[in-house]
Amino acid sequence: MTDLTLTMKYRPNQRVDMSPITCDKLAGLELAEIAAIELQNGKRKIRVDDLFSLTGSDVCNIHIENSFAKLDYIGHGLEGGNIRVTGDVGAYLAMEMRSGQITVSGNTGIYAACQMKNGLLQVIGNVGDFLGGALSGNKKGLQGGTVIIRGNAGDRVGDHMRRGMVMIEGDAGDYCGSRMTAGTIAVMGKTGRNIGYGMRRGTLLLWQQPKIPATFGDCGTHTFSFLPMVFDAISKFDSKFSDSSKHFNRVHRYGGDMAEIGQGEILVQVDSA
Amino acid sequence: MSSAIRIKNGKVYDPLNGIDGEIKEICVQDGKIVDSVPDDSPCIDAHGMVVLPGGVDIHCHIAGHKVNLARKFMPENKRHDVSPRVNELRSGTGGSVPSTFTTGYRYATLGYTTAMEAAVPPLGARHTIEELHDTPVIDKGFYILLANNVCLNQLLEKGRMEEFREAVAWWLNAAKGYGVKLVNPGGDEPWKGHKNSNVHDLDEQIRGFDLTPRKIIKALIDATNDLGLPHPAHIHCNNLGHSGNYTTTIETMKTAEGRRVHITHIQFHSYGGEVGKNPTSKAKEISDFINNNPNVSADVGQVMFGEATIMTGDAPLTWQLRNMTNKKWINADTECESGCGILPFSYQEHIYTHALQWAIGLELFLMAKDPWRMVLSTDHPNGGSFMNYPKLIRLLMDKQFRKEQAALANQKAINSTSLLDLEREMSMYEIAIISRAAPAKLLGLTHKGHLGVGGDADITIYDDQEDKEAMFNAARYVIKSGKFFIKDYEFCSDFQGRILHVEPEYDHAITQKLRPFFEDYYTIQFDNYPIADSYIHDGEVVPTKSLS
Repeated sequence: MTDLTLTMKYRPNQRVDMSPITCDKLAGLELAEIAAIELQNGKRKIRVDDLFSLTGSDVCNIHIENSFAKLDYIGHGLEGGNIRVTGDVGAYLAMEMRSGQITVSGNTGIYAACQMKNGLLQVIGNVGDFLGGALSGNKKGLQGGTVIIRGNAGDRVGDHMRRGMVMIEGDAGDYCGSRMTAGTIAVMGKTGRNIGYGMRRGTLLLWQQPKIPATFGDCGTHTFSFLPMVFDAISKFDSKFSDSSKHFNRVHRYGGDMAEIGQGEILVQVDSA
Repeated sequence: MSSAIRIKNGKVYDPLNGIDGEIKEICVQDGKIVDSVPDDSPCIDAHGMVVLPGGVDIHCHIAGHKVNLARKFMPENKRHDVSPRVNELRSGTGGSVPSTFTTGYRYATLGYTTAMEAAVPPLGARHTIEELHDTPVIDKGFYILLANNVCLNQLLEKGRMEEFREAVAWWLNAAKGYGVKLVNPGGDEPWKGHKNSNVHDLDEQIRGFDLTPRKIIKALIDATNDLGLPHPAHIHCNNLGHSGNYTTTIETMKTAEGRRVHITHIQFHSYGGEVGKNPTSKAKEISDFINNNPNVSADVGQVMFGEATIMTGDAPLTWQLRNMTNKKWINADTECESGCGILPFSYQEHIYTHALQWAIGLELFLMAKDPWRMVLSTDHPNGGSFMNYPKLIRLLMDKQFRKEQAALANQKAINSTSLLDLEREMSMYEIAIISRAAPAKLLGLTHKGHLGVGGDADITIYDDQEDKEAMFNAARYVIKSGKFFIKDYEFCSDFQGRILHVEPEYDHAITQKLRPFFEDYYTIQFDNYPIADSYIHDGEVVPTKSLS
């Protein structure tokens, strides 16, 4: 059985809601039935086969080829299976995903991994703001799973994040880890202003010194024996994070946000040199 | 084009005209109820159906800044309740605080054709009118908050009663209000000046003034009666929600000294017990007092389990609730006029206090000897959305259902009340009183709440069903001012309702006395403050009784 491949025929002017196209929702459907599914396109509905040419039949492995930045809600609530996207995607990538794997070769819009529950999301390009965040008014962002970003992330990474692991090889924007309740965000590149704003608990693991806000307390330099275990755990993923030359166990620790309950921490690599 | 309609074979309940379930013909012409219409007029055969006047909600929160703030700060409450565009109707969002259009449509869908926004600081009246213009189908008005008004308090303090009354009349005119609302009289001033401060007793000195809450209450009850307003002072008593507050409520009612007064959401004011400890039910004491004092009317403010939003001018109360929920909240101060507090809330069956509140509300309904003076409300959205009205009606009409529901709630709370001993089941006639006729009468809306000749043709027709909740949830026909909003379960047209307001007479000399206060303290110029007549698109001035 070959993978189900959706190749985009043209780029519509309005955004497309791709939430019906997930492995679990397509299970048991014939190709003709998949072709007849209607997607919301702006204020209109559009058939899948109007927008995409379809080949293959294995709905557990979906390829979206030729994607562009107006395809929203890809992998919405995905429960098992594998979605691979070639090109950029729009907002709400992998929102509320429960299990499975999503890989995107290009960039994403805002709210990638929004309220995601579990599974693995990999983005080769850059992601927009609110990576692993919560919809406005909701209290729980990313709630589990692993998110690997090869490029840079926008502002407010992990807003209201509750659990799970976010790894960013590039830079993160302002307010990284804002209002976090738990979980871990690792950033190899630079971070912006107001890091850990309103952070309650959780860990920010940094390779480069950030600008520490006034509401974080300096806790000095420590050697943590749990760090090798963390690195060991994330080394199984294909990313720069598995490169042992990047690993360390001596960090400068800052505790905060003291304007909140202050049980969060920012751990910054201390050069052994 | 003829706009006549004939409704025949329906079972009509029209308490204001003493009609109790008679099969009677109702004729409509040009938005009014008439004696007869031409034989060839369109006809509805309402066989097997119940014909009622359109519902009238005497107390709800549907427009103005606090309502809009609540909409904006609870997106999570609206995301899952989207109303798409249907036929001519506009789209919107629901939740416990629906968007303007959805508010109008949903009220009308339940058969409600008039609703009164209950708390608007006069400074927010312009905004409120803008929103009411966007609240379709229903007729509406609003009460203005005057019990924490610094300017009025100063007049009162000096005993300048005549000027006080003139100023109240000027304010009603300026804001295009329908009535006078008192919220926690005197409580905002200490709240604004001192952290977590409030007044707790009617005879307590209000910080910063030589005044007590009782003096403010008395003055506004007198002013509203003297001005001949169609609706008397509408009072949210002090100590809302506090254990042992029923004495404050009774004292407030006594302050009226026999003059007309309306106590709102009285369920929240009927608690015994000690402050800081669990409340108990004092529904019996409150009911007895109201039963024996025909000058007093009340609406219940029933609590319904589920999502709600607290929104009130009672700012200190919101602070207290915020400390219980530990969730997001808003607290605001309207300069010189009022406070404001908003927070999301949820009433839950297993919680003692919530179950007790639910039971007390039902006790108040069922213990009232005179349904004309104990009318239906949930203080939407404070006790729950108005969308709960059908369920509430079923609770009142169906003893068995009431007992089943009570069995699901906190038993310690339920058993501490007399709810399970109350065997009364309200009749359709009584429901027509508490949801239609009585609120209209208490509001002084002589052309509403009934189906007599000359009345507004606000008519709802339901299928006569055993399950009253299902029945009141799905009106088969809704006619507002002679126009069909729902025809055979289908939405058929979208149109505007009117804004009801009063224009009591006053001596224009009062403006010269008020002007200096505005110049000293307000951020808005005195001349820009009153709302011009042209601002109201489709208004109706409800007459006041002439001053005797």
